[in-house]
Amino acid sequence: MIASPFTDQGLLRDGHLEIRLHGRGGQGGVTCAKILAALFARTGHSVQAFGDYAGERSGAPVRAYMRASDTEVDNRNKIYTPDHLLVLDPTLLGDDIVGGLKTGGTLLINTPDAPEQVALRFPGYRVATVDATAIARRHGIGSRSVVIVNTTLAGAFARAVDLPLDALAATYDSLGLRSNLPAAKEAWTAVRMAEPLAGDVARAGAVAGPPSVIALTDHTVGAPTGLKTGSWRTQAPKYAEHLAPCNAWCPAGNDVVGFVQALAQKGEAAAAAILDATTPLAGVCGRVCPAPCMDGCNRREYDGAVHIRGLERWIADHRPKLTAVPAPAANPKHVAVVGGGPAGLAAAHTLAKLGHKATLFDAETAPGGVLRTGIPGYRLPRDVLDREVEAILGLGVELKANTALSKKDLEELPQRFDGVVLATGLQRLTGLEVPGANLPGIEQGIAFLKRVNSGEPAKLTGHVVVLGGGNTAMDCARSALRAGASRVTVAYRRAREDMPAIAEEVHEAEDEGIVFAFWQAPVGFSGTGRVQGITLAKVEAGPPDESGRRRPVVTSQHELLACDAVLLALGQGRDLSLLPEGWSLETGRISCNGAALPIFAAGDVATGDGTVTHAIGDGRRAAQRLLNALGEAVTIFERPDRSAAVPVTDIRLDHFTRSEPAAPILESATTRAHHSGEVSRGLASLSEAHRCMSCGHCTQCDTCLVYCPEGIIRRKDGSYAVDYSFCKGCGICVSECPRKAMEMSAQ
Amino acid sequence: MTQELLTANHASALAATLAGRANRSARGFGAGVYPITPQTECIELLCKQDIEKGHVVRVESEHSAMAVCIGFAIGGSRTFTASSSNGLAYMAENVFAAGFYRLPIVMMAVNRTLGPPWNIWVDHGDTLMLRDAGWIQFYCEDNQEVADTILAAYRLGEDARVCLPVMVCQDAFVLSHTIAQTDMPEQALVDKFLPPLDLKHRISLQARTVGGLDGAHENELHRWQQETAMRGTEAVYAEVQTAFEEVFGRKLPDAVVPYRMDDAEFVIVSMGTTHSTVRHVIDAARERGVKVGALRVRLFRPLPVQALETWLEGRTRIAVLDRDLCPGLGGILWSEVRPLAPQGALVQGYVMGLGGGDIRPANIEKVLADLLAREKSERPVLLEVG
Repeated sequence: MIASPFTDQGLLRDGHLEIRLHGRGGQGGVTCAKILAALFARTGHSVQAFGDYAGERSGAPVRAYMRASDTEVDNRNKIYTPDHLLVLDPTLLGDDIVGGLKTGGTLLINTPDAPEQVALRFPGYRVATVDATAIARRHGIGSRSVVIVNTTLAGAFARAVDLPLDALAATYDSLGLRSNLPAAKEAWTAVRMAEPLAGDVARAGAVAGPPSVIALTDHTVGAPTGLKTGSWRTQAPKYAEHLAPCNAWCPAGNDVVGFVQALAQKGEAAAAAILDATTPLAGVCGRVCPAPCMDGCNRREYDGAVHIRGLERWIADHRPKLTAVPAPAANPKHVAVVGGGPAGLAAAHTLAKLGHKATLFDAETAPGGVLRTGIPGYRLPRDVLDREVEAILGLGVELKANTALSKKDLEELPQRFDGVVLATGLQRLTGLEVPGANLPGIEQGIAFLKRVNSGEPAKLTGHVVVLGGGNTAMDCARSALRAGASRVTVAYRRAREDMPAIAEEVHEAEDEGIVFAFWQAPVGFSGTGRVQGITLAKVEAGPPDESGRRRPVVTSQHELLACDAVLLALGQGRDLSLLPEGWSLETGRISCNGAALPIFAAGDVATGDGTVTHAIGDGRRAAQRLLNALGEAVTIFERPDRSAAVPVTDIRLDHFTRSEPAAPILESATTRAHHSGEVSRGLASLSEAHRCMSCGHCTQCDTCLVYCPEGIIRRKDGSYAVDYSFCKGCGICVSECPRKAMEMSAQ
Repeated sequence: MTQELLTANHASALAATLAGRANRSARGFGAGVYPITPQTECIELLCKQDIEKGHVVRVESEHSAMAVCIGFAIGGSRTFTASSSNGLAYMAENVFAAGFYRLPIVMMAVNRTLGPPWNIWVDHGDTLMLRDAGWIQFYCEDNQEVADTILAAYRLGEDARVCLPVMVCQDAFVLSHTIAQTDMPEQALVDKFLPPLDLKHRISLQARTVGGLDGAHENELHRWQQETAMRGTEAVYAEVQTAFEEVFGRKLPDAVVPYRMDDAEFVIVSMGTTHSTVRHVIDAARERGVKVGALRVRLFRPLPVQALETWLEGRTRIAVLDRDLCPGLGGILWSEVRPLAPQGALVQGYVMGLGGGDIRPANIEKVLADLLAREKSERPVLLEVG
């Protein structure tokens, strides 16, 4: 039987009892004091209980107080010399906590340690211990991570001061805490006590008595708190870069957020330097790229994507000319690049920048591939392409134009060069096998565009029908208008939203008067000596295919449309029959009868992705893979995982003022359709760069510094430094960071 | 009556609820409420109450909270709100409006230090800022007194001879968040104590202007009517005390609460819970043979001039403790008590316990020692209690 601490006087000492509790925010210390008050009220005492309230948060040290008295409690002070002390969290236990506890007083601690062990540190006190955390957890009080120990510890205290169990039960009943009673009872049984050891209580640390009263004449100067609140921290903030969605979406692997921010902060030259690392064709992509980066842009969810394509064009159009020639590599390789389209140009660019020799073979008079022969000048002026091709050649790339390579030539390349990048593009055109498909006046759109773009005769008259829904179809339709057609109709077998063409191209075509017929498929052509009509069948939407688009189902509802010419823009495919005998292409590398050759395929011939930006990324990757295969240590570009990008939900949109995205300036539709000059004049200014939210990338906006409630973040060396000795780990800086350039991590 | 363990915040909400229900046979109860530490618990509990013919309106600011009360009150409803510190500062314009409209609104104010810099703990500067707003002001010492004073405030303020709003003040956390045994009376007793409100100047179907333009002469008369009502308040309060004791069986403290004053030569004057600590020091000093007593100014507006003069008569040394600071003056209580001291007495003001400093017996001992050792008084001094 454990004796009451004041056996000769009952529960109270001289008719009064004072208890102080120490816990952490969230452990229920104040409620524990109130439970004890209720317990003593039940035994007929006048009581009082209160906490130390402040702007504290979970985990911060918290004190609570309880008084009981035989007479009315009229002491309104905090408790400095308690009769008993309860410690809810053993990590708080120190001389400063125990200070003021009266000799012989009970020191009840929530700890698995034996009381005798703790008593060695605190002679002169009756030490009681109980593992209230374990008991409360067993009884499911609180959550698995945050156990609430107050009701359990109160049970142990009742036992320590010899309060009967039934008083405890009645109190819990009255407070609606019946479900917590079993844990309290278990603690009542489990609490262990050690009688006071002889020793000097003062030496044990009677520190926390009332602060000395300053003499009236004394003068004090406020000093910063000496309390190193960093010890409360369980998590710490840190600055960390995260993947921006524009970067994750860019198939070329451009550092999009990097060049946009550089443009906004430092200007065109700095932005161009970032682009040069990954693309030689910023001026081209700034005009014709479908801009997946803009699809990924988090601002799209807010007030419209940043017009990244327009900014890329701005940089290309305003940048200083590149003059530096890269230094030769230590062990330069000589590589043949076959095909001067975007993939081949990107491969040559990559090789040259790394100091290797590249020889570029192109069948046409000048390199550029589809950029030169396919894309009309009103979208991509030739001087823009020429300027960028020149810059690539200026890096030391040797050009062999007008050089179509036969199978035999290809077979010999591995002997003449250290390696080969094969970037021959898509050579096979999709035709139509329907009645009348061979009638004159029906032509592949690619062939038509090539004639237009090379300045050969390409005049059209009357009503031209274009079949297809991609960018080639748009190019054909708009070029047909410029080539003299009086009317152009685009027939497409799916819906408008299914069109692979860039939406802006479609809008521009419509503005120029081009008519669209959706859900229409050609089933025959008619005419005498020349196509005069096209029979279109109505198409219905079937079940979705693997691309998620509704599969077109051709019906028997036909309609005859009179026309004077038809352009086919039904897609292209790669033609591997052009490869020498025995060559095969697997995962981008050529093998000959099973033996890997130092030949890597790049661009559409390898992937069939069909955009300039894909070709650029793939050309660079093929060049890097080849160099690796040749023994050069080169990091190979891999397209980032889009799911790893910062989601819009991690952006604090409230920090950004809503603003409409800027649009490029277009020439009027009524005049532009009659000449082949560039339709778009680009953005009027670089203001779009300032709309970039810089997802995952710190802009030194000072939000963390301003919001830190402790004022312990400061600028340092172009970034910030956190004073961790005072950082409580509240996480406000991280949650307020507008752009997820910070994160919390466990200690 | 049932005795419950309640914080003074919760006791306030329950008292307001009882008073509100007691007006169910008349024009009901209305409250405009907006939270602010440390009174939020009070309005939270009030919002949970089911009050017959009662509406608790949650608004977007203290200014609107008082506006809602003004609307209810001028329509004849019994009204309540609670606020604190900078909330009161923001409410101030309408606090004056309520006072000058002579509307018997009751507001529980938790005394909290005005910011910035921010501090959530007790001092009396916030409600003292409103001492000229035409409100009766009580400062309480314990939880029971807070609850009882709210009930009494309705009876007092609604009395046709008074017809003034009443502010019931209590110390932040020391009372607002501290639980203590509190007797909350039965509704039937409250019904007996609080007759239905019949506000003579409430708006009705008879069209008239309320608070229109006042000429100079009307204005001096209107303002003097307020002063006259204030001067009559103490007499009515004495009646309220009698009625309160008759109904509830316990005393409602006096406007000025004395402690061991019978033969006291020296006096320590204070407000709120400071007086509790002062009493302990008086007991200890009496043990030593020092003839010292204490006064607690419970009713601050109207200032109980005569009671104070009577209690101070014949005392030689008077310490006035101010838990407030009026920059450029010193302590507000000091400035009001000093003219009431007998001629020749030494009156010294002490500013202490600002920002929630825990005024401990040792601090009061220091005051007493200083008071007794002084050769002459000076302007109020700051006593740092930390």
